[in-house]
Amino acid sequence: MSATLILVILMAIMYASGVYLMLERSMTRVVLGFLLVGNATNILILVMGGRRGLAPIVGDGSSVDEFNDPLPQAFILTAIVITFGVSAFLLALIYRSWRLSQADELQDDPEDLAIAERDAAVEEELRHPDARDTEVDHLDELLAARELGDKGEQE
Amino acid sequence: MTALIPLVVMLPLIGAAGALIAGKRRQLQVIVTVVALAAVMVVSVFLLIEVDRTGALVMEVGGWAAPIGIVLVVDRLAALMLIVSAAVLLAVLLFSVGQGMADGDGETPVSIYHPTYMVLAAGVFNAFIAGDLFNLYIGFEILLVASYVLLTMGGTGPRIRAGVTYIVVSLVSSLLFLASIAMIYGALGTVNIAQISVRMAEINPSVQLTLHAMLLLAFGIKAAIFPLSFWLPDSYPTAPAPVTAVFAGLLTKVGVYAIIRTETILFPGNALGEVLLVAAFLTMIVGILGAVAQADIKRLLSFTLVSHIGYMIFGIAMGTIAGLSATIFYIVHHIIVQTTLFLTAGLIERQGGSTSINRLGGLLTAAPMIAVLYFIPALNLGGIPPFSGFLGKLALFNAGAAQPSWLIYAVMGAGALTSLLTLYALARVWNMAFWRPADEVENYESRLLDQLTEAPDNTDTEGKNSPKLMVAATAGMVALGVGLTIFAGPLYALSSRAGENLNGPGNYIDLVFPEGVE
Amino acid sequence: MLTALIVFVVASILAPVLTGWLGTRVFYLLTLVPVVGMVESIRRASAVLDGITVRESYSWIPQIGLALGVRLDVLSWVMSLIVLGVGALVLVYCARYFPATEPALGRFAGTFIAFAGAMYGLVVADDIFLLFIFWEATTVFSYLLIGHYTDRKASRGAALQALLVTTAGGLTMLVGLVLIAVDAGTPSLTGIVRDPPGGALASTAIFLILVGALSKSALVPFHFWLPAAMAAPTPVSAYLHAAAMVKAGVFLVAALAPGFADIPGWRETLVFVGVFTMLVGGWRAIKQQDLKLLLAYGTVSQLGFLTVIVGFGTRDAALAGLSLIIAHALFKSALFLVVGVIDHRAGTRDLRKLSGFGKRSPALAVIATVAVISMVGLPPAFGFVAKEAVFTAFLDSGTAVGLVALVGVAVGSVFTVAYSARFLWGAFASKPDTPQTEVADERPGILTSPGILAGGGLALGLVAPLVGDALSGYSHGFPSAAGQEDYHLALWHGLEPALVISVATMVLGIAMFLLRDRVLRAQSLVPSWVNAANGYWKAMRFIDRTAARVTARTQRGSLSFYLGVILLVMVLAVGATLTLDQPWPTEFIWWDFSGQIAIAVIMAVAAIAAVRASKRFTAVVLVGVTGYGMAALFALQGAPDLAFTQVLVETVTLVAFVLVLRRLPQRIGVAHPSHARGWLRATLAIGVGVTMALVAVLALGSRIADPISLDLASIAYEGGHGANVVNVTLVDIRGWDTMGELSVIIVAATGVASLIFLDRRIDDQPRPARVSGRKGFLLRQRPVTEPARPRGHELGDDEEEETRLAWLLAGRTLAPENRSILLEVTVRLLFHSIIVVSLFVLFSGHNAPGGGFAGGLVAGMALVARYLAGGRYELGAAVTIDAGKLLGSGLVLAVGAALVPLFFGADALTSTWFEAELWALGHVEFVTSTVFDAGVYLIIIGLMLDVLRSLGGEVDRQQEEDDPDTPNERMPKPADEKVNP
Repeated sequence: MSATLILVILMAIMYASGVYLMLERSMTRVVLGFLLVGNATNILILVMGGRRGLAPIVGDGSSVDEFNDPLPQAFILTAIVITFGVSAFLLALIYRSWRLSQADELQDDPEDLAIAERDAAVEEELRHPDARDTEVDHLDELLAARELGDKGEQE
Repeated sequence: MTALIPLVVMLPLIGAAGALIAGKRRQLQVIVTVVALAAVMVVSVFLLIEVDRTGALVMEVGGWAAPIGIVLVVDRLAALMLIVSAAVLLAVLLFSVGQGMADGDGETPVSIYHPTYMVLAAGVFNAFIAGDLFNLYIGFEILLVASYVLLTMGGTGPRIRAGVTYIVVSLVSSLLFLASIAMIYGALGTVNIAQISVRMAEINPSVQLTLHAMLLLAFGIKAAIFPLSFWLPDSYPTAPAPVTAVFAGLLTKVGVYAIIRTETILFPGNALGEVLLVAAFLTMIVGILGAVAQADIKRLLSFTLVSHIGYMIFGIAMGTIAGLSATIFYIVHHIIVQTTLFLTAGLIERQGGSTSINRLGGLLTAAPMIAVLYFIPALNLGGIPPFSGFLGKLALFNAGAAQPSWLIYAVMGAGALTSLLTLYALARVWNMAFWRPADEVENYESRLLDQLTEAPDNTDTEGKNSPKLMVAATAGMVALGVGLTIFAGPLYALSSRAGENLNGPGNYIDLVFPEGVE
Repeated sequence: MLTALIVFVVASILAPVLTGWLGTRVFYLLTLVPVVGMVESIRRASAVLDGITVRESYSWIPQIGLALGVRLDVLSWVMSLIVLGVGALVLVYCARYFPATEPALGRFAGTFIAFAGAMYGLVVADDIFLLFIFWEATTVFSYLLIGHYTDRKASRGAALQALLVTTAGGLTMLVGLVLIAVDAGTPSLTGIVRDPPGGALASTAIFLILVGALSKSALVPFHFWLPAAMAAPTPVSAYLHAAAMVKAGVFLVAALAPGFADIPGWRETLVFVGVFTMLVGGWRAIKQQDLKLLLAYGTVSQLGFLTVIVGFGTRDAALAGLSLIIAHALFKSALFLVVGVIDHRAGTRDLRKLSGFGKRSPALAVIATVAVISMVGLPPAFGFVAKEAVFTAFLDSGTAVGLVALVGVAVGSVFTVAYSARFLWGAFASKPDTPQTEVADERPGILTSPGILAGGGLALGLVAPLVGDALSGYSHGFPSAAGQEDYHLALWHGLEPALVISVATMVLGIAMFLLRDRVLRAQSLVPSWVNAANGYWKAMRFIDRTAARVTARTQRGSLSFYLGVILLVMVLAVGATLTLDQPWPTEFIWWDFSGQIAIAVIMAVAAIAAVRASKRFTAVVLVGVTGYGMAALFALQGAPDLAFTQVLVETVTLVAFVLVLRRLPQRIGVAHPSHARGWLRATLAIGVGVTMALVAVLALGSRIADPISLDLASIAYEGGHGANVVNVTLVDIRGWDTMGELSVIIVAATGVASLIFLDRRIDDQPRPARVSGRKGFLLRQRPVTEPARPRGHELGDDEEEETRLAWLLAGRTLAPENRSILLEVTVRLLFHSIIVVSLFVLFSGHNAPGGGFAGGLVAGMALVARYLAGGRYELGAAVTIDAGKLLGSGLVLAVGAALVPLFFGADALTSTWFEAELWALGHVEFVTSTVFDAGVYLIIIGLMLDVLRSLGGEVDRQQEEDDPDTPNERMPKPADEKVNP
C-alpha cells in the first residue's frame, strides 16, 4: 500500500509548525503547538487507514470493502476526545499560571538554577583552592575527621 | 477466573465514581476508595496464585475474539506488577488519608484527590494487563492525565511551573507513542500485541528497526532514560509527599514494563541491546551525580530514582532470561523502596519543617522512629546487604558476568559506582539531618528548634508532628521492603519463572492465539 | 553456627530495651551472647582440629547461587574464637567503662552486639556472597559505632569516611566475587580454594577482591580511615580496630592464599603493599602524641606486617601468619583498653601531659608492659614466638621476594620497638619536666579484661608447641617447602638467624627510642610523603564538583531545552535507522481527490501562519482553521462521525480558548530569550516533520498483510446490531478503550475545576462547597432572586419558583451594556429543543453518524449558548445538578454496562440485544451497549459543564474580585431590583 502524499506532506508541515510552537516559552504557543501536533497525529492515523472510502455505515447498498478503514476512525475519535479533555486542562493551567504570576512565559526551575550558580561558585573555587564549597556542609565534617586522624583530639 | 481480570481496572473506576458522587463527604470517600483498592489487592492475589499455577490468563473483552476485540493478558510478570502496585497504592492512600486528617484538605482536597487517585490506579493496572497496543496507549493516557491533575493539585506557583514541564513532556511522549501505533498499524494492519509480534517478524528488518526505535523513544521518556530523563527531577519533588511517592514508585516502572514487553514480544532478538546498554550506563552515572549535587532530600531521591532506572535497563539490555529475572526482581524492590523513602521524606518535612539537609538537624533525638524509617530503606536503596537492593544488584551482576563483554563489564562497574554514590548521598543526609545536633545548623528555622528549646528532653515530639496513620503506613512499607529480603527465595523464584515466560514471544502468542494467527 | 547468629540478631534487637531496664549492667548480660558462639566453636574443637570441616547450609536464592552456607575449618575456628572471645571481654569492660549517665547507651549496645554477630558471620561464612553480606554489615555497624558521639563533627566525618572507603573497596570486591564465582562455577569459598580457576579473568577477579581486603584492613593507600576512626569510644577501637574488623581483610587473604598465592603478582603485590604499610604506620606511630592515635598507627603498621606474612603463601609462613594474628589481637586490644582506663582516670591521652601514672596505678602499668612485651616480640610472650616464625619463614623461602619481605619487616619491627617503648614511657613514666598527673580513682574490676588479654598473650607463648600443632591444620593447606621439614612453634629454637634478627631489631629500636628527640627532629624534616587522607579529601571534593558540573550542564530546568533534547534524540535515532537500506515504495499516489489539495493548502497555510502570529486570538483562530480543515478532510475521506465530532470539539475548544484568553494580554510574549535560537528550533521542527513523513511512507509502504478491520463491518452489524461500524466499535467491540477514555475525560474535568477553584485559602469565609469547586454556582446564584436569603440554605422545592420569578436571570445580573434580551430569549426557547436533538443524536448513533460523544457535545453547545447569552447565573439555572455527580453517574453507567455481564457469566462489556413489538411504538430494538453510550453522553456533558463553570463562571467571578468595576457581571444591587419587571 502507498500513502496519499499530499496528506503526508500536510502532516509533516503541521508537525513542524506544532513542534516549533511547542519549543517556545509562551504557554499559549505551547498549547497551540500541542493542538497542531495532535491534529497532525490524527492525519497520520487517517493516512495509515489507507485511501479514501465510503462512510463505514452498513446498509444503503454500500459494499463493505469500499469502506474507509473504520478501525483508525475509532482510534481518531478516541484521540480527538482525549485531546479535547487535555487541552481544556491545559487552558485551565494557562489561566492559573497567569493568575499567579501575571506572566504567560515559562519560568526555569529555580533549584536547577541554584545548582548552576553553585557550580559557578565551585569553578571560582578552583582558582582559590583554600576557599570551601559553601553549599556542602558535610565537607567540614571530613575536614575535622582528617585533623583528628593527623593530630588526635585537641581538648 | 478470567472474570477477575477486568475487575482490577473496573474496581478503581467504580471507586472513582463513588468518590465523585460522594462529593465532599470525606469519610464516605475514604471508605469507598480504600475498600476499592483493598479489593483490587485481593483480586490480584488470586490472579497471582492462579497465574503462577497455570502460567497465564487471557480474557477477550466483550467476548469479541482477538485480534478484533481487545484482549487482557495476565502472565506472571503482569500479576506480580499488579499485586505490588496495588499494595503500594493502598499504603500511600492510607498515608495521604492520615495527612489529610491532620492538615485538612488544603494540600489534597478530597473531592479532587480521591477520584483522581483512583483513576490513576485504574490506569496503572490497565497498562499492566493490556494485550492490545492501543489499549496500552489508553492505559498510559489514563494514568498520565490523572498524574497531571495530582501534580498540579493546589495550584501553587511551583507546582504549576513543575506541572507544565511534566505535562508537556508527557504529552510529547504520548503523541510519539500514538504515532508509533499508527505507523505499526500502517505497516502491519493490526494493534493486537501478539499479532504484531507475528507480523513484525515478516517485514523488512530495517523497517522493524525504525518502528522499534520510535516505540522505545516513547517509552524511554516515560521510563526516564538518559537523555530523555531531565524532566523528572524537576517535576516530581514539588507535589505533595504521597503524590510524589506514588509517582516515583509506579509511573516510571510502567514505562520500564512497557520496554520489557517491547523488547521481549514486539521486537525480540535484542536488536538495540547495545544502545540500551550505553543508555543504562549513562542513566546510572548522570543520574547519581545529580543526586550527589542536591541538598534537598526530595530532589536527591528523584535523582536516585532516575539513576536506578539504569539498573533495570541494564537487565533488559542483556536480553537473557537471567537478566530479565533480575530486572523483574529489581523493579519490585525499587517500587517499594523508592516509594517508602518518599513517604519518609514527607514525614521528615512535617517533623523538621524542611527537606533541605542544610536546614535539618537533630532528628535522631527528636524523632527516633523517623530515623529508623529512613535508615533501613536508605541502606536498602544503597544496595547494602542483606537488603533486596543488594540482592537485585547481585542478580544483575551475575547475569552480566554470565555473558562477558567489555560493554557489560563497563556497565557493571558503573553499577558498583552508582551504588557507592547512592550510599554517599543518603549517608550524607543521615549525617546532616539525623546525627548533626540541631544547634549546629545555621539559619535553622523549623518547628523542631523551639520544641527542643522549650523541652530539651522531650523525645515525643514526633507524636505531635506525625499522625499515627502516616507513620503506620510508612512503617508498613518499610516492613514490606524488609520482607523482600526475608522472602527473597520464593520471590526470586517467582521472578525467574516470570522471566522464563518472556523467553521469546512464542509463549505470549500461543496464549492469545492458541490455534495460531496469520 | 546459624543458631548462634540468630541469637546475635535477637540480642541486638532486644539490647536497647534491656538497657532501659538494666543500665550499664546490660553488658554483663550481653556478654553471654558471644559466649554462646564460643561454646559452639569449642564444642567443635576436636573435629575441626582433626582436619574435618564442619558445615551447615540452607538454600536461600539458588538462582543466583546465594546460600546460607557456613563452615568451620581451622582458620575460621581460630578467627571465631578471637572475634567472640575479645568481643566478650570488651563487653565486660564496657560495663565498667561507661558511666550510667552515658547517653544513647541502648543504641550503642544493640549496634555493638550486631557488629559482633556480623563479624562472627564473616569468619564462618562459606558462601562468598554470604561472606560479603556480613562484610558490608560490619561496615555499616562500624559506621554507626564510629559516629557514636554524634555531637562531634570529627566523629561524624570519620564515620562517613570509614563507610565510604570500606564500601568502595567492598563494591570492587563484589564485582570480583561475582566474576570468580561464575568462573569457578561455585560460590563456596572452600570449593573455590580447593580447585582454583586459572586464567586472566580469575586473576583479575582475585585482584579486585584484594582491593576490598586491603581497604578493609586499612592498608596503604586506604590506611587513613583507621586513625580517624579513633573518634569512636575506646571499647569500639579495642574491638573493631584491633581484633575484629580490621582483621577481616587479613582473614580473607589468609583464606584465599592456599588457592591463589601462586598466581602471578599476588605475592609481589602483598609483600610490597604490606611492607610499605608497615613502615609508614610505624614511622608515623613514632611521632604521635595521642596514645590512642599512637596505637592506631601501630595497628596500621601491624596490619601491613600481617598481610606480608599471611599472603606469602608457604606452609611456614601460613603458620607464622596465623600465630601473629592471634598474638596481635590479644596485645593490641589489651593496650587499647589500657588507654581507655588512662583516658578516664587522667582525663587525657596526651603523653606530653601524662607523668607518674605508673606509680599511681602499678597494676595497669604491669598489664600494659606484659602486652607490650608481646607486641615487640620479647620472650616468653607469644608475640616473640610468632615473630621468630615469621623471620624463619622468610629466611627459608630463599626467594628475592622473601628477602625483601624479611628486610622490610625487620625495619618495621625496629619502628615497632621504638613506638612501643615510647608508649610505655609516655603513659607511665614520671617525666622530670612535667607535673604529676592528677589521677581519679579506678573503677573496680575494669582491669579484668585487659588483664586477661595481656595474660593470654603470655600464656600462649608458654604453650607455643601445642598452639603450633593446633594451627597446623591450616598451614598444611600449603605445599611444604622442598627439602626441609616443617617449622614448629617454640620459644627456643637455639641460636639461629631469626634470633639474631630479633635481637638486632630490639637494640636498634631501643636506640631509636633513646634518641627520640633527634628522631622527631629528623621526621619533621621529612615531608609526610604519603598523605592519603588528603587524597580522600580531594576525591570527595572532586566528586562533588563533577556532580555539580554535570548536573548544571544537563539539568537546565528549562522545558524547551528538555523538549529540544528529546526531539533531537528522536530525529537522530529514527533518522539513523532511515539511512539503512529501507524498502522505499516506488509508486506514489499524490492525492485521492482534488478537494484534498484545496483543504490541505488552506490548512498548511493556516498552520504556518499560526506559527508567525503575534496576537493570541489570531493564532487561536488559525489553529481552529486547521481543526475545521480536519473535519472537512474526514468528511470527504469517508468518516462522517469524525467530521461531526471534530466540528463540535473544535467549536467548544475555540470557546474555551476565548474564555481563558480574554484575561491575557493581546500579544503573545514578544522577544523572549529563546528567540535568539529561533533558526535552531526551526531546523529541529522541520527535522521532526520530515522524519515523521518518511517513516509514515515507509511504514504504509511495507504493509503486506490485510488489516484486521476487514471483517469489522460484518462483525459490527451481526454481533453488535448496529449499522454505524465506528460507533459500534467504540461502544461495544472496543468499548474497553472507550471506558478508559471516559476516565481520562473525568480526570481532565476534575483537573479543570481543581485548577480554577482551588485558591480558596485566600477566601475569608469558609466555603466547603468551593474547596472542591463543585456546586459553587448553586451558592452563587442564590442571591439573584432574594439577596436577603441566608447563605447555606439548600435549594429545595422553591427551585422552580425561583426560575419562575427570574425567568431571565441575566436581567439582574448582567450589566445593561452587555445584555441582549433578544439573544437570551431565543437561546431560552432553543435550549430544550437542542437538548432533545442531542438525545436523538445519542440514540440514533448506533446506526447513523452520532452517538454519545456527538450527543454530549451537542448538549454541551446548548449550555455554551446559555452561558454566552446569560452569563454564569443563566448557566446555573440551566443545569442545577452538580457536575461531579454527572461525571460520577456517567462513569457508573459505563462501568456498570461493563460489569453487569460478569454476573451473567459472560465476559465484561458483553452486549445483549432485545427487540419487541410495543403497541405504541411498534418495533423497538434495544442494545445494552446503548447504556454504555448514555454514560459517555453524561460524562461529556459533565466535562462541558465543568469547563464552562470554571473557565467561564468562576473566571468571571475572579475577574470581578480582581477589579470590581469592570462592566461585566456583578452581584445584583438593590437598584437592579427595580429594573426588573
